[in-house]
Amino acid sequence: MSTAPKDFVGSHKQKDWPKHLIICAFILIELFPLYMMFQVSFKDNASFLRNPWLPTPPFSVVETRQAADGTEIAKTRVADWSEAFGSARPSDPSVKSVEKSFDLSVYKVKNWNFGLKLIGPYIANTVFVAVTGTFFTLTLAILGAYFFARYKMPLSGVLWSAFLVLMLMPGVANIVPLFSLLKELNLLNTLWALIIVGVAGGQVFNIFVLRNFIEDLPKDLFEAAEMDGASHLAQIRNVVIPMSGSIIGTLAILAFLGKWNDFLLSLIILRDKELFTLGVGLIYLDGEYVKQWGQMMAAYFIASIPLIVIFLFCMRLFVRGLSAGAVKG
Amino acid sequence: MAFPISRQKALREWKLYFLIVPSLLLVCTFSYFPAASAIYHSFFDWAGGETKQLIGLDNFKRAFGDDVLWGSFKTVSILIVFNLFKMIPSIMMAVMIHRVKSDRWQYFYRVMLVVPMIVPSLVTLFIWKFFFDPNMGVLNNILDFTGIKTLLVSLDQVFGWGLFFADAPIGWLSQPGLILPSLFIWGFPWIGAVGVLIYLAGLQSIGQEIYEAAELDGVGPFKKFIYIELPLILTQVRLSLVLLVIGTLQGYGLQLLLLGEAGGAGGKGMVPGLWMYNKAFVAGEFGYACAVGMILFVFILMLTYLNNKSVRVEK
Repeated sequence: MSTAPKDFVGSHKQKDWPKHLIICAFILIELFPLYMMFQVSFKDNASFLRNPWLPTPPFSVVETRQAADGTEIAKTRVADWSEAFGSARPSDPSVKSVEKSFDLSVYKVKNWNFGLKLIGPYIANTVFVAVTGTFFTLTLAILGAYFFARYKMPLSGVLWSAFLVLMLMPGVANIVPLFSLLKELNLLNTLWALIIVGVAGGQVFNIFVLRNFIEDLPKDLFEAAEMDGASHLAQIRNVVIPMSGSIIGTLAILAFLGKWNDFLLSLIILRDKELFTLGVGLIYLDGEYVKQWGQMMAAYFIASIPLIVIFLFCMRLFVRGLSAGAVKG
Repeated sequence: MAFPISRQKALREWKLYFLIVPSLLLVCTFSYFPAASAIYHSFFDWAGGETKQLIGLDNFKRAFGDDVLWGSFKTVSILIVFNLFKMIPSIMMAVMIHRVKSDRWQYFYRVMLVVPMIVPSLVTLFIWKFFFDPNMGVLNNILDFTGIKTLLVSLDQVFGWGLFFADAPIGWLSQPGLILPSLFIWGFPWIGAVGVLIYLAGLQSIGQEIYEAAELDGVGPFKKFIYIELPLILTQVRLSLVLLVIGTLQGYGLQLLLLGEAGGAGGKGMVPGLWMYNKAFVAGEFGYACAVGMILFVFILMLTYLNNKSVRVEK
C-alpha cells in the first residue's frame, strides 16, 4: 500500500455510515427468506403458530389441566422465549400446573429426515441431469466455438448467423412442438430428454461467449502448437482449455444453476415419480393439501445444499467471472 | 478475429467442420425443427396425436376474438411496468456499494448479495407463496404486527376497494383484486444479484479523475448519479431492460406456480405464455396453442427489432 491518501469515489465531505446502514438493511431483507427457511424447518405447525419469528428456545412446557370428568390431562408444548428466561406461565385459566424443562426434542430433526427421504432421490436425479448436461453443453460449445474462432472457414459466416438468430428467437413458442417431437423420439418420461434439450438450448449462448474469448487468445500459441504437429483436438486440449479456465468455470456454474432451477420442461416431460427432478418434486410437495411447513422448509433447505457447496468452493470465481464477463459482453 | 484462410488450406482443414456438427445437429433438431413445426401446426386443428386437420387461418381468427388472450396481454404489460420499476433498487444498490469507501466492504457486500442465490429459484418462489399464505403467512403477520393492516382496512373503507377486512386475513393470492398487487410485492426488495454485479462492473470503469473533477465543482451526490454514474452504466441498464421486457413477455413459470394453470382467481394473473401452456397441456388444443405461441412470437420479434434499431441509431 502506498502512503498516498486512499482513492475512493465517494464525496470527501460525505459520511460513509448512512450508505452502510442502507445497504445492510437491504441485505438483511434479502437474507430474511433464508433465515425463515432455516428456523421454520425445525418447527412443527403448532410451534410455528406460537412463535413464527424466532427460533424455538430449547425448553418444553408440560401443562396439566383438569378435564370435565375430573381426570388430569398433560399436554406438552414448546416454551416461549419469555418463558425460557423466566418461569413458565399457564396459557389459559383452566391449566392447573405448568412445568418447564430443558428439552432438545423441540427441534424437529424429523422434518429433516422426512425432507431428505422425500427429495433425496429427486436431488440425485437433478444432480445427474445438471452435471451431465453441463459437461456436454460445455464440451460441445468449446468445440463449436473453436471452429468459429480459429479460421474463417467457408460457410462459417452463414453458420454463425444461424446460431445468432436463435438468440433472438423466443423459446416460448417452441415448447408445444418440442413436446410432440420428444414423444416421437420416445424420449418422453426420460431424464435424457432433459439433458439433450438442455444441451441444445445452451449451445448458442455458450458458443457466443466462448468464441469471443478464444479469438482473444494469443495467436502465436496456436501457431506454435501447429508447428509441433498438434491436431485441432490437441490444440483445444492443450491451448484453449488451460487458457480459458475462468470463463469455462463461470459458464459451467451458470449452466449448472440454469439446469438446477429449470422446472417447466421437467413438469411437462416427466411422469414417473422415480424420475422426478427437484423442480417437479417440489411442485408436487406444494400440492399436498395439509401443509406441514416445517417439513417443507426442511425439504427446501436440503434442495439448496448442493448449491451451497458449489457456492463455498466457487464464490470467488463466480463474483469475479460475472463482473468480468459483463464488461466484455 | 478469426484467421482468414485460403481455399486450399480450408480444403485441407475440412476436418474442422466435424467440430461444429454436433452443436449444429442439436440446434437444428431441438430449436429450428420445433420452431418450424410450430408455424406449420398453427394452421391445424391438432390435439397432439396423429390426426390433424388443416383449418387454415381459423386458429388465428379465433385468437383475435379471444378475450382471455387480449386480457393476458394487458396483464403482461402491467407486469412489464412493474418490473421496470423493480429495476430501480438494483441500480441504487450498485451505486451505493460503488460509493462505499473501503474495497474490503465492497467485496463483502458483493458476496452477501450472491448468498441468496444459493436458494434455487423455485424454492424462493415457494417461500414467497408461504409468505402470502393468508393464515400462517409472514406477510399478513407483519402487516398485523406493524398495524399496517388497520391502515389498509380504513383506506379500504374510504375508497371502497372491498379487498381488506378487519375480521378476515388478507387473501393475497385468492382475491382477484389482490393478485396483481401480490405479483408486484413479489420478490421485495427486488434486488437481483446478477444485475447488481453487472452494474458494478460498469461503474468500476469510471475513472477517478471524473469524480475528483466533480468534487472540485461541488457536485452533489444526486447530480453525480445523474451526470456521471447513470450515463456510464446505461449500456448495462439497457441490456437488462431488454432482457427483462422479453423475459416478462414470454415468462409464465411464476404465474403457473404461484397462481395455478388458470391464472389464479378470476384469471387475473393470466399471461400469454400461461394461456398457451393451458391450451396445450390442460385443454389439449395443441394447434390453437401453437397459434397463440406464434402471436406471442411476433410481439417479441417486433420488440427485438425495435430495440436493435434504437441501439444502432445511438451508436
